[in-house]
Amino acid sequence: MSGIAPAGDPVIPDYGQASECVINNGAFCGDWFVDQWSTVFWPPLVDHIYMVVIAVVIGFIIAFVAAVVAYRKKWLAGPIGIVATFLYTLPPLALFQLLVPFTGLTLLTVEIALVCFTLVIIFQAVLSGLAAVPDDVKKSAIGMGLDQRQLMLKVELPLALPSIISGLRIATVLTVSIATIAAFVVDSGLGSPILKAVSSPFNTQFIAAGALAVLLAFVFDGLLVIVGKALTPWTRARVS
Amino acid sequence: MRKLISHTLNRRRALGTLGALGAGLAAATVSGCTATTANLGGTKSGAAGRRITVGSKGFAESWIMGELYAQGLRARGYQVDLKTNVGSSDIINTALQSGQIDVYPEYTGVIVVNWAGTDTALGTAEETYDIAKKWESEHGVTTLQATPFENKNAIAVRQEFADEHGLEKVSDLKGIGDFIYSTYPDNVSGAIGYEGIVETYGLDNMELKTLSIGLNYQAIERGEIQAADVFTTDPQLLRSDLVVLEDDKKLFGFQNVVPLIRDDVFDDLDADAPEFLNTLHSLLTIDAIQALNEASAINRIDPAQVAKVFLQENGLM
Repeated sequence: MSGIAPAGDPVIPDYGQASECVINNGAFCGDWFVDQWSTVFWPPLVDHIYMVVIAVVIGFIIAFVAAVVAYRKKWLAGPIGIVATFLYTLPPLALFQLLVPFTGLTLLTVEIALVCFTLVIIFQAVLSGLAAVPDDVKKSAIGMGLDQRQLMLKVELPLALPSIISGLRIATVLTVSIATIAAFVVDSGLGSPILKAVSSPFNTQFIAAGALAVLLAFVFDGLLVIVGKALTPWTRARVS
Repeated sequence: MRKLISHTLNRRRALGTLGALGAGLAAATVSGCTATTANLGGTKSGAAGRRITVGSKGFAESWIMGELYAQGLRARGYQVDLKTNVGSSDIINTALQSGQIDVYPEYTGVIVVNWAGTDTALGTAEETYDIAKKWESEHGVTTLQATPFENKNAIAVRQEFADEHGLEKVSDLKGIGDFIYSTYPDNVSGAIGYEGIVETYGLDNMELKTLSIGLNYQAIERGEIQAADVFTTDPQLLRSDLVVLEDDKKLFGFQNVVPLIRDDVFDDLDADAPEFLNTLHSLLTIDAIQALNEASAINRIDPAQVAKVFLQENGLM
């Protein structure tokens, strides 16, 4: 058998004619964007949301626990902070690629890297929020008979909430943007259409996917602001 | 010759993937994976032999090939995981060796030049295929039949220019008077770049104009240049009145596409999978792949959709 397949007689499908804008790679072809929304943009957008939510939730749990521990055992704050800061300073692309030998070209690789980048922000936000609770407030709470656990749940954490929420907002917006780099590891998320529109140049795809990432960051940020307001009604009451 | 070809390949790689940014690092790190990632390919879990992970490289033609493999195998009842845009040749080859993917489309010349490291000049596509097959088999990988089409550098001129000067092959350009040839800036000094062509074909009358990739076609249509460096599967070749001159001194090597399947996966496959891949490859003539590339790279239809229509109209699913 010959190595090169003998040329067959293929049926060459008629793929139709694209609009002038698409053929000439115009700045933004609205017709194409609408047509391709369900295949090119919607699935990556959904994947992107999942990627970000998973990373922020896991990152929050880890960083929150670490911050509470560091708040209780002050000597731990330094070492934990150093580790978290170190993870944060790694270039995202390098971290993704460094993880590939261990976790493969998988979503797991992406999530580990994304979680690493959220840690320092959330950790610092929780820790500084807790540290900023005034001493006299804590003393009077203890004076009223609250134990350590009640003090944490009823006084310290609620007062630290605005700081925690602002940390979460920064971490989430950052994760939305870093998650686009995940396309180097898995063909998923909004980075995928961006990366492909760079390899095979096409402005509409590039601009639309980038704009969706920006929009997504705004939406997440807005949602967290609303959640923050809902959780801290007293901050508004004080103003009004 | 080896050096000659590697220059084209560098271009294809550079073109193909932004992943080149991380390529060096990734190639080094990915090569570390063996047992830890071997199960990610999923070939041994579930129904043995009916699960397969298809990979594709970082450019449009490879995305289409990957979709063709994946959808065709799915239609035959295989559970297919498709990893598109895995990266450059080195990265995806390491992914294949380490079990992260099981099959992917590769160019015979890439295998020969990048890995087999042959220094002899290759006279035919068959010879190139044979060396590639031998190298892959020594590395635990099975090669099926290659496509009739190949994707490599070529020189194109306008039809009227060819008629005027009676041009059919590159050596016909000698002695037709001064004309301008364009290529991208980093393909000037290589042996298959401007200087190499001038030397090999003795084209002292060929002047150089460097243009960014993709601007060649506009320039030649406007008559700013008379000859352009192109890829043989460029869909633009379908749209303009250009003719590709025959590379009669075999300067550009051979680049047919061949499916690479890791041996352990291949041994578990039922006969329908290789049969499908061989049939598919025989249908991928230069006309067919140009049409597929046009649908994807110019009409901007999703590669998955492009592949689906082709498979359906050719009775492959």
